Amino acid sequence: MIRFLIFLTLGLHSTLICFSQTGKISGTLTFEDGSPVAFATVFIPSIKKHTLSSEKGWYEIANISYGNHRMEIASVEIENSSYPIKVNSSAVDGYLVLKRAEASVLNEIVVEGLTEKKEIETKGFAVNVIDPKTAAVQSIQTNDLLNRTAGVRVRQNGGLGSSVDYNLNGMSGNSVRIFIDGLPVSTYGASFSLNSIPPSLIERIEVYKGVIPAHLADDALGGAINVVLKKSLNNNLTVSASYGSFNTFQTNFSGMYRMDQSGFTVKMSGFYNTSNNDYEVWGKFVRNILPNGRYDYVRAKRFNDAYNSVGGQLAVGFTNVKWADQFLVSYNGSDDYNEIQHGTYMSIPYKGRFTESQAHVTGLTYRKSDLFTPGMEVMFNGMFSNRSQVVSDTVKWNYNWYGEQSLGLNGNPILRPQGAQQGAPTINHIDRNIATFRSGINYAISDHHKVIFSHVFYDIGRTQQDEMRSAVEREFIGTRDLQKNISSLAYELETLNSRLKANLFGKYYQQKIDRMDPILVEENEESVRGEDRAASKRHTSGYGAALSFSALRHLLVLASAEQAVRMPSENEIFGSPGDNIVENLGINPEVSNNVNLGFQAGAYTIEDHKFSISGTGFVRDTRDKIVQRINPRINDAVQTNPYENLGKTKSIGFETEVNYTYKKLLNVMFNLSKFNSVYNTKYDPNGNVYSNYNQQLPNEPFFTINSGLQYTFNDFVAKNSILNLSYNFGFVGPFYTTWLQIEDFRTPRQYIHDLGVSYTFPDKKVVVSADVRNVFDKQVYDNFAVQKPGRAFYLKLNYRINNF
Amino acid sequence: MNRQFLKYLIYGVAAATFTLTSCGEDDPIDPVDPVDASRWVTVAGALMGDNPGDGNGGTMIYAVSYEDAINSETTINLYDDGVPVKSNRTARLQVSEDGNTMFNIAYSGENGGEFSRFGVQGAASYVEEDVTVSIAQYAGTSPRWGKLYDGDQTGIAVNIANITANNAESSEDLFEYYRGTATVLALDLKNVLISGYKQYEIPLSVEEEKAGNTIFRLDAPVLNKAGDKLLIGTWMRKYNPETGETESDYERLGTKTVIVDYPSLENPKVITSTVANGDCSGYRSNVNFLTEDGSIYQVTQRDTNGSHILKITASNEYDNSYVFSLDAALGVDDVYVQTWRYVSNGKGYIVYRHGESDQSYIALVDLTSRTAELVDEIPNDADLSLHQYQGFLVSGDNLLVAVTPIGKDGNIYVLNSQTGEVTKGAKLINKPGNHYIGVF
Repeated sequence: MIRFLIFLTLGLHSTLICFSQTGKISGTLTFEDGSPVAFATVFIPSIKKHTLSSEKGWYEIANISYGNHRMEIASVEIENSSYPIKVNSSAVDGYLVLKRAEASVLNEIVVEGLTEKKEIETKGFAVNVIDPKTAAVQSIQTNDLLNRTAGVRVRQNGGLGSSVDYNLNGMSGNSVRIFIDGLPVSTYGASFSLNSIPPSLIERIEVYKGVIPAHLADDALGGAINVVLKKSLNNNLTVSASYGSFNTFQTNFSGMYRMDQSGFTVKMSGFYNTSNNDYEVWGKFVRNILPNGRYDYVRAKRFNDAYNSVGGQLAVGFTNVKWADQFLVSYNGSDDYNEIQHGTYMSIPYKGRFTESQAHVTGLTYRKSDLFTPGMEVMFNGMFSNRSQVVSDTVKWNYNWYGEQSLGLNGNPILRPQGAQQGAPTINHIDRNIATFRSGINYAISDHHKVIFSHVFYDIGRTQQDEMRSAVEREFIGTRDLQKNISSLAYELETLNSRLKANLFGKYYQQKIDRMDPILVEENEESVRGEDRAASKRHTSGYGAALSFSALRHLLVLASAEQAVRMPSENEIFGSPGDNIVENLGINPEVSNNVNLGFQAGAYTIEDHKFSISGTGFVRDTRDKIVQRINPRINDAVQTNPYENLGKTKSIGFETEVNYTYKKLLNVMFNLSKFNSVYNTKYDPNGNVYSNYNQQLPNEPFFTINSGLQYTFNDFVAKNSILNLSYNFGFVGPFYTTWLQIEDFRTPRQYIHDLGVSYTFPDKKVVVSADVRNVFDKQVYDNFAVQKPGRAFYLKLNYRINNF
Repeated sequence: MNRQFLKYLIYGVAAATFTLTSCGEDDPIDPVDPVDASRWVTVAGALMGDNPGDGNGGTMIYAVSYEDAINSETTINLYDDGVPVKSNRTARLQVSEDGNTMFNIAYSGENGGEFSRFGVQGAASYVEEDVTVSIAQYAGTSPRWGKLYDGDQTGIAVNIANITANNAESSEDLFEYYRGTATVLALDLKNVLISGYKQYEIPLSVEEEKAGNTIFRLDAPVLNKAGDKLLIGTWMRKYNPETGETESDYERLGTKTVIVDYPSLENPKVITSTVANGDCSGYRSNVNFLTEDGSIYQVTQRDTNGSHILKITASNEYDNSYVFSLDAALGVDDVYVQTWRYVSNGKGYIVYRHGESDQSYIALVDLTSRTAELVDEIPNDADLSLHQYQGFLVSGDNLLVAVTPIGKDGNIYVLNSQTGEVTKGAKLINKPGNHYIGVF
């Protein structure tokens, strides 16, 4: 329930003066931060007159007889409230500043978010907008929120902080691009990622499937996830701390302060996460290998899986001033430490392998609407980032699941087969300097036509040094410098009384990669280090459209299509001598023809029941997929198989979501996603049809269901308090992990149950929540043979102050 | 031999007849007797992964009787009727001498390095025995291994790990050598457990090492006639000590074989041929064979002068007077032997390609006269690529080999090493992108 306490800074204490027999009252309804209270009903019962406040909060009621009246103000956002007025002049100033009720702002933003959400979701794209506000008070990770979304499958290699792969409608890996505030996530690196950013610092997450709007400019073949960090402009401070199983401690704060007069704004946020991730694992993949090679199946705690991350952001500047809607200079710093318990499968535990990442990002953001001429909006976002990462793996012995050295037959410890836990010993420092500039101009020609231009420049230079390599070897490590320029132009049309919305866009991608490999050159009969330089330049274009049509009231039909591309990566172009891959400068981008067709029906209201349903069907037809061809001469001293454009895959499927609410107390959500991602190369060189043709690709979780149930008790124990109970259910259908359909290589059918409760104290400043994840302590897998945490308990305390 | 026999008795495994034929005799390397017509013959094939012929989609097997295997009326439809072997990628299969048991070590994946044993019961019926053993800790999840011809008692797995300059943690010192740590491991196939292992560095000569040469890989172990030495093939590599990079075009050293004491697996020693410079580690199958005269013959790969067959005498030294160049014998250039199998009386068959072409051919080789002759009856098909071939079945003087071009049907061929006679056996039904990789 949304509640507002209204304070009349003017109305209650100053007198409304009257000069004639009838008068009028007029003024603006605003919140304290100056934003208008739009479309509120203003009603004076004694004279049966009412009006609506305008978009800008303005209202006026005339012909009010002199005397005392009551005026009632109501809107969807506020509780009906009334107070006395005294009309004793011809024009009464009714400028009212309505103060927001504390703590309830959490809920208030939900309303704002919904409108933003609605706007994005009705443009025609196949997009989900995730609003993390209600989850923010619970102990829930950002990745969990994504995983509960229709058509999104998050595959994590273990507990908090472990590596993640995102699958959108059957496309994954580097086909899916992640953005933070519209900038590629690689600007920030591992330490400031969806693994570390808590939901409470996020305004919303947009998940675009297959078709990506022009302003998210990157070569995303299969989809994009855009994380929009908090934008709220009211003064507030939020702090939360959560503690739970596996010694998991997570805390974060965010605050914002804006001076009304000057528009000077300071925004700060920070987070700290730490977990031992020492959860128990068991079953057929968890075994100690005895000296004679036999298996001893054990139940053990993970011992090399700790994670911690810390990060913060400070932005200083001006907001909502004459010359800028937003002008902010920011610094973002983050650091993480991540122990790695095992490789692709958990059958061999590692000890001592870890990564450490750091990022320092400084940036400038400028945004201004109605610049020069009404309808013209410009924005600029520039970041300089210095990222560093260390991968360390130096422990040379085998370990068992108890964290002890594995002993061989003679009682001595056994060396790892490749020198260290995962491969050869390494302490590899990888440093990246990244510059990202994004600029955009939107021009609304009229209410119905809008042109959007945006350009992204991205430059990444990388150097690496492996301490475990000899000095000469280190001198002979090559460098790669990647530059991308992506320009996009879109045209938005709104017509037929806003029933039809169309968005046409084109994208132009340019990519340049400079390669430098040190070589030995003969100089005065002496071998000296020289540099072999090469550059690869390529460009390509893509285009697409999104349409939405309001066929009936409460029925929206959505269609979108894009010819999406992914530019080849540096390894795919230049090869990797260490992995025996030679260069292929002529390689082409991967291309995918993506189509979505869907509908949104609802919300239909029958008395206290509200019901809505949506569904999307999709096709992803990928060609020129970059794969490495087998070389029958693999025996050769030099293996020379480059990457080539050979593969073809296709993904066809659908997803649907149903929502039901009862009296705003009960909220039920159900979504389902199913797709068929198939091998799409039909003929072998002899013209015969491949047996894999049209067969489901291995290792794709193609059938998932999520369901959520939430119930709210108002005034529980104390008046004005809120008790919220939630239950989430997830299902993942079994899938084969190899082309061979062997039961041993099939993942089990999974049912995951989570419970949560939160209690908002009457003062609305404090929210306490508790969560039980994986209630039935089931073995849960995202990836084959990698068990995720069992039952876990968390307790969280949230504290929020507004308007200090 | 005696010791093994004793051990064998102590463990008390049944199959007494087996004991008599394989271990009761002084010399287990006598010519193989013709197999029983009712013996099971397992046919194996590799499924494609992403690309035709890559074999990365896994391995399937199917068993018929020997009688049926050599009968051209029989049709084997492995990919529809067979059963998959539990291995992510191409399995490394071996068979017991009686054909009744298949051995496998899974290659890569969750169970990589896991040894398992299957009872062969005909058609797609393979019963996995409830004993597994993993050599992953010693030899990695993608191990190289071979079965000794010692009456199905021993498997040998080998590995080289962590090749680094001076094998030191900090490497500011003057460069001396690149060396890895070798592991030689013995697997008791009867009791399904690791019976012993040794780890050591195997140095080359100071000069060779200074230049950056090192043993990059070990494979293809074979026991000598006396049963007291294990010979292991090598794959050599050269680093450029000035840059640390792997060199691709360099002067190769003479072919090297590592010799260790057996069964102690100790005292590694390197012998070097002056005849050839290729590697003798094989790929998916063994390339080192003991013959009746007590010599070991090995085939070389990546040889700059084309593949050679080299001879190692019963005294465990290269016979450098024995020169058998396959380029010369076959009259073509750049012969690359993909695999081969010794049969009997100095005769064997090589599977090879030559020149720039990837097409495989089969030739009968005579080790005594050092001649080779193309087997014309094998289909001359550009899609025939046997580079992943791993299973030959020797029956008396005959060799059974499964020949299918990638994505095309083929046959089991019965090749008589003494008469040169070729007869077609069972028809092998293929699927696009797949190929048969062995008959066991």
